[in-house]
Amino acid sequence: MTTRRPSEEHEEDRGSGLSRRKFLKGASGAAVGSVIAACQATETSPPEPVEPEVAEGLAEGLAETVDVTLSINGERHKLRIEPRTTLLNALRYHLAQPLTGTKLVCDRGNCGACTVMVDGRPAYACLLLAADLEGREVKTIESLGSPDALSPVQQAFWEHDASMCGFCTPGFVVSITAALDKNPKADVDEIRAACSGNVCRCGTYPQVFRAALDAGRKLAGGRG
Amino acid sequence: MAQEPKKKRVKVSRVVDGHPVEEWIEVDDIEIAWPEKSELKVLNKDTPRVDGPLKVTGRAEYTHDVRLPGMLYARLVLCPVPRADVTIDLAPALALPGVEAAVVLEDERTAFMGQPVAAICARTPELADDAVRAVGFTYEEGDWVVDREQALEDDAPLVSSRLDSNRRVAEERGERADAETALMQCDEIVEATYTLPVQHHVSLETHGMVVDYRGDEATIYISTQFVQGVAPQAARALDLPADKIHVICEHMGGGFGAKFQLGVEGIACCRLAREANKPVQLMLTRKDEFLMAGNRSGSWQRLVGGVTGDGRFGALLAEVDRLGGVGRGSHPGHPYIYSVGASWMEMASVFTNMDSNRAMRAPGHPQASFAIESMVDELAHVIGMDPLEFRMKNLEDPVYGRQLEAVAQKIGWYDHPHRETPGKADGGRNVGIGFGVSTWGGGGAPRCEVTIEILPDGSVTSSVGSQDLGTGTRTYVAGIPAEEFGLPLEAVTPRIGDNRLGNANPSGGSTTTASLAPAVKHAASEARTRFAERLAPTFDCPTERVVFAEGRVFDSENPGSGLTWSQACRALGVNGVVGHGTFQEGLQTRGAHGAQAVKVEVDTLTGAIRVLDMVCMQDVGLPLNRLAVRSQLQGGMVQALSYGLLEERILDRDLGLMLNPSMEDYKIAGSLEIPMLTAYIDDEDERNQVMGVGEPPIVPGHGALANAVFNACGARVRDLPLTPDKVLAALEGNA
Repeated sequence: MTTRRPSEEHEEDRGSGLSRRKFLKGASGAAVGSVIAACQATETSPPEPVEPEVAEGLAEGLAETVDVTLSINGERHKLRIEPRTTLLNALRYHLAQPLTGTKLVCDRGNCGACTVMVDGRPAYACLLLAADLEGREVKTIESLGSPDALSPVQQAFWEHDASMCGFCTPGFVVSITAALDKNPKADVDEIRAACSGNVCRCGTYPQVFRAALDAGRKLAGGRG
Repeated sequence: MAQEPKKKRVKVSRVVDGHPVEEWIEVDDIEIAWPEKSELKVLNKDTPRVDGPLKVTGRAEYTHDVRLPGMLYARLVLCPVPRADVTIDLAPALALPGVEAAVVLEDERTAFMGQPVAAICARTPELADDAVRAVGFTYEEGDWVVDREQALEDDAPLVSSRLDSNRRVAEERGERADAETALMQCDEIVEATYTLPVQHHVSLETHGMVVDYRGDEATIYISTQFVQGVAPQAARALDLPADKIHVICEHMGGGFGAKFQLGVEGIACCRLAREANKPVQLMLTRKDEFLMAGNRSGSWQRLVGGVTGDGRFGALLAEVDRLGGVGRGSHPGHPYIYSVGASWMEMASVFTNMDSNRAMRAPGHPQASFAIESMVDELAHVIGMDPLEFRMKNLEDPVYGRQLEAVAQKIGWYDHPHRETPGKADGGRNVGIGFGVSTWGGGGAPRCEVTIEILPDGSVTSSVGSQDLGTGTRTYVAGIPAEEFGLPLEAVTPRIGDNRLGNANPSGGSTTTASLAPAVKHAASEARTRFAERLAPTFDCPTERVVFAEGRVFDSENPGSGLTWSQACRALGVNGVVGHGTFQEGLQTRGAHGAQAVKVEVDTLTGAIRVLDMVCMQDVGLPLNRLAVRSQLQGGMVQALSYGLLEERILDRDLGLMLNPSMEDYKIAGSLEIPMLTAYIDDEDERNQVMGVGEPPIVPGHGALANAVFNACGARVRDLPLTPDKVLAALEGNA
């Protein structure tokens, strides 16, 4: 993920519905740094009225809520959430139609089960605050293919049995897809590095390596 | 008149709390067999699993993904100290906005670190986290012990008032005097203590369920290894008859032995759902999972082994302490796999105020294997014998000989420069190879009731009330009837993970395939017979002559003029065909053997270990799906490497804290630790019956790893995990 330094420079350029004052008021001390960072996420489109997807009051708790517009798999989703809400929780719990393909396993950036793409690069959704992502393009496993139309990486995972219980699989598929997007000719060591942020308890690593090499060959050969 | 079927007595494996227990029973003697391996069209092939497309696209719905209208999210409140007198006040939590119900689980004395004392539920997971912190929870810390040494101190506080001592002897095997006499006749003696830490299951999907309570009935979605066990356990907490409780486990994110029971979290979720009168989801947090959801018991083993100059394992004395917290721990006993002239063993449980162990993939066996495989290697070394040759000499079953030879061949043992003596640690990087063998039962037991239905539109469903843990069960539930009817796999719809689809066994102890597959085969065979009876008049031939093959149905004496599958099904008219199946002893077998070899590179300057290669040769009886079986074997190998290299519960013994209850600090192996390892199915196994092989591949890997490290550089590490500091310390001891 790109690192953005807190700065007041763009605070007035914040995205639609993002009230910085309301944000800070509701956020706990620990979250303030991230909130300031969020304000730097500039968005050129003009503010528009927010129709929260989540029923009014569902997220009302100790903290106040913020209205956020996220771009997920090419669609805009307007959410009313607490500032502390991670992208992972926003996907899994706060969308009107939750996207549950992205898995919650460790919730602190150790396992990769929640890997998504943000602006084309793999990222842990549990380490990102949803309110930080206005103007960014989030892609989840749901956008990479469907059971009737598997992507080349998904097809190779299936054929090589690189998925057993399957709980880590979406994260691995996203990581390997991102790596092969960059370099379809990645060798096994590059494949290992690409998914070194993902863990699998069933122990499918050898199948994952074989699947990724196979998918890479097909992508490089233009047959994907 | 129906003839009373003949009976026969057979040995079966039942699963009790995840542990297989063998017993003799009487069953009907029915003649039914699998086709010859070479004749199979769907089974015994590399078959991508039927739920693969759902899993690789994130569409497979796990318990964790269930979302119901108005559903609340629950959390547990855990006691942070190993023992305490607790007082709970739920009012501050209930006063928070969005919190809808709370229950007390323990309001007197806790028994182990992390014991749940209360549960709450709220409208969002974030609000539930707040509510946990708001619960009024005061405690007075009691006296406790958290490790073996504390538990064995003279004035140690007793873990339970029912104990006289924290160490309780459970079993003695053999005559000590005989073993000691045999030891005196040996040429060399090795005394060593082997220790293994507590290992955690680390299923990626934590324990959890959704209880959809609707007053007079309920549906429970749950991540479980025993769908059929849930309703009877939930009935009381929900105050409903068990038959009003529908249980669903469509997919589950790993269990490895920890998910047989509804558990305290399940009871809590049921109570919350009743109290809130809404659906409630309770998934343990990762920290909960480490503290209160079970583990593989640790182990302390003191072994004295004797060897004769010509390489016979002459004598063994073993003291084993199982370290299962408030549980008894697991260990199969010594001398485990090897044949020993005379042996004696005393096995005990040492109790502490820590979470109880639970079954974990091959309960106890990896602990026993590490100690005995290390001892075997040490004995070979003291007499200067090739450790491979020593193993072959002291393993009775000839199957091990051929398997060891195969893995030795594949890993390059016969070209390896130093076999009888380890490499020299001179600050460089040394390569070493180590071996181990495994055993397991793998047989099944009666319970499964399977239904196969063929409808006039040609559709076929195969329904079982079992569960697929990720092993590939669902795929053979479809594959077996597809084979029977001469259809492609996709022509059969498997239904699984639902308590209303017929009784089924728990999935543990590698008993699922041997229990379920014979019942599926029986149901398919029954359905085929019924179908043939209905079609015989059409073909004007006896029932036995009706053949189902390659999508067609025909008279074997007139193969040119049959019907397609869909024509044949249409000919059934309105009523389809149903076949019911139950366990058939003759379709399954028991007795798994395996051998594994590990090749490592040890940096003798830093002590770092890199695994270069690992191979496994495993007999599996009739493999229903070769691809899924190899994945299962490789998965066991990976888990053993992870255990050997990285895994360990770390406690602060003075403060009574677990220091690594997260995946950040409790490491499991990732892509950088694991080589492109390979499992081979032992096709010289002539048994044409099915067998379970989930457990055996996890048994010997970490012992083989330790032996490989020794072979590389002479560092004998007797305490897992094999971290670089221990390798260096062992090298220094040898210098």
